[in-house]
Amino acid sequence: MKDFMTRLDPTAARGEPTIRGKAAIVGAGQSDVGRVPGKSVLALATQAAKAALADAGIERSEIDGVLCSSAFAAPFHRFSIAFSEYMGITPTFSNTLQVSGATAATMFNIAAAAIAGGLAKNILIVGADSLLTGLSPDLALRAMTESRDQQYEMPFGIPVANTFAMTAHRHMKEFGTTSEQFAKVAVIHREHAMRTPGAQMTAPITVDDVMNSGWVTTPYHKLDCSLISDGAAAFVVTSAERAASDVRSKPVYILGAGECYTHEHIFLMPSLTTTGAVQSGAMAYEMAGCRPAEIDVAGVYDCFTGTVIMMLEDLGFCLKGEGGCFVDDRQITYGGSIPCNTHGGLLSYAHPGMPGSLFHFNEVVQQLRGDCGERQVKGAELGLVHSLGAGFATQATTILGSGATL
Amino acid sequence: MNRIEPKDAHIKPQPIPDADTEAYWHGLREGNLLLQHCPDCGHVQFYQQAICRQCGSENLEHRAAGGGGSVHSFSVVHRAPGPAFRQDTPYAVLLVELDEGPRMISSLVQGDAATVTFDMRVQLVCEPAEGGVVLPRFRPA
Repeated sequence: MKDFMTRLDPTAARGEPTIRGKAAIVGAGQSDVGRVPGKSVLALATQAAKAALADAGIERSEIDGVLCSSAFAAPFHRFSIAFSEYMGITPTFSNTLQVSGATAATMFNIAAAAIAGGLAKNILIVGADSLLTGLSPDLALRAMTESRDQQYEMPFGIPVANTFAMTAHRHMKEFGTTSEQFAKVAVIHREHAMRTPGAQMTAPITVDDVMNSGWVTTPYHKLDCSLISDGAAAFVVTSAERAASDVRSKPVYILGAGECYTHEHIFLMPSLTTTGAVQSGAMAYEMAGCRPAEIDVAGVYDCFTGTVIMMLEDLGFCLKGEGGCFVDDRQITYGGSIPCNTHGGLLSYAHPGMPGSLFHFNEVVQQLRGDCGERQVKGAELGLVHSLGAGFATQATTILGSGATL
Repeated sequence: MNRIEPKDAHIKPQPIPDADTEAYWHGLREGNLLLQHCPDCGHVQFYQQAICRQCGSENLEHRAAGGGGSVHSFSVVHRAPGPAFRQDTPYAVLLVELDEGPRMISSLVQGDAATVTFDMRVQLVCEPAEGGVVLPRFRPA
């Protein structure tokens, strides 16, 4: 437990060859998002994939790699293979990844490594699920709780929210973080969603609205919790060489990647308030050759409000214990030190499960292209997306940059 | 893992012992919460597995915990994860730090969920549950 810090010392990788700048995101697309009845998970995935291919100006026949997250509402054992068949693609590199919410960033990290290592040339990354209309609400929650250990956790009735709630609760105890500060995260995310076409929740909310929205699992109220949604997102990743020559869109380069997996059971989490994001972030910064203060815009996994506060600390955007005040000072929105989740995040844009964090990628890609219109963070060149899951068990960070950052 | 069908959603999930954990669940039926002690490095661990997580030794001994612990963190569940737990709400899920060192997940019995606090002392209660299983739960000490 105590030696994982040294085992994952990111400086150990210094001087080694990395994937920095070897691959680029050249296509991004989304399905209809939010409440999307009457569309299968594979149909949502295909809608997003076609949009991503069109965005890149790359033909379906050129795709030789397919990476997907798995889906609760379409429980194929081999989702990426089922998707490829449905889409009419015969990949020579493919896998279905499952490290809960962290899966999104891992797909980009692995795609970049596969391209750098010659396993594939043009990779389609796809995540899709239909948690809102493809499953009844109880079964959607049940599907989440089945991801907890059946012997040591589930007999006690732990919703996945509960594992995150216990970390937030401990954060309050150790650092004096308040419910109002948690609520502020939700309020800012809603402000962002109000400017994002297609966002699931766009009615303005106040701190009091969050505090009065009813308990889900203490210290979290209903509006501290992310949404349940349908939707899909897809991306085309190709080599930096190809990205620089013949694609339609402005390439966004993968500059750094890091992951960390500290535990499976919440009771073996080394610390409830400092997570493996410290390591995954440090690895990604080291590879990208940048510091947290240099990041212009971020997508920070926001399954719960307190999750954002803890990640701002662990990713180095503020000091440990100061995340609550940092949010209170509106440092995570326009004019602040690190605008986060400018699309509204899982809290207000959409959260169809594992694809949820892909929308963070989509937003950061659009920001780095300069295509965000009234949501644009001025001069955004360097972005970070952090995905996590399973009560902070799984952590993956990807640092992205425009051509100017290469 | 089997998917839970709507007709079964009211049934609480039953722990299914495996080759590593048979002794653990047997111990609970006799009123003992078994921890694994490693004679080679002194590590004490929860849960039951084939090797010591600290030194890799396979030379592990089962010993009953004293049953005392304190609440490291907790969350009171108001919205249950499915119909099986709905009648129990609000209930307090506890992250208990046992006096021997290891932490474990449990839930509060014989007490009001609203009165749980950090570092509160708790005591093991081996409580029969559905299907002949005995669960390690905790009451205020």
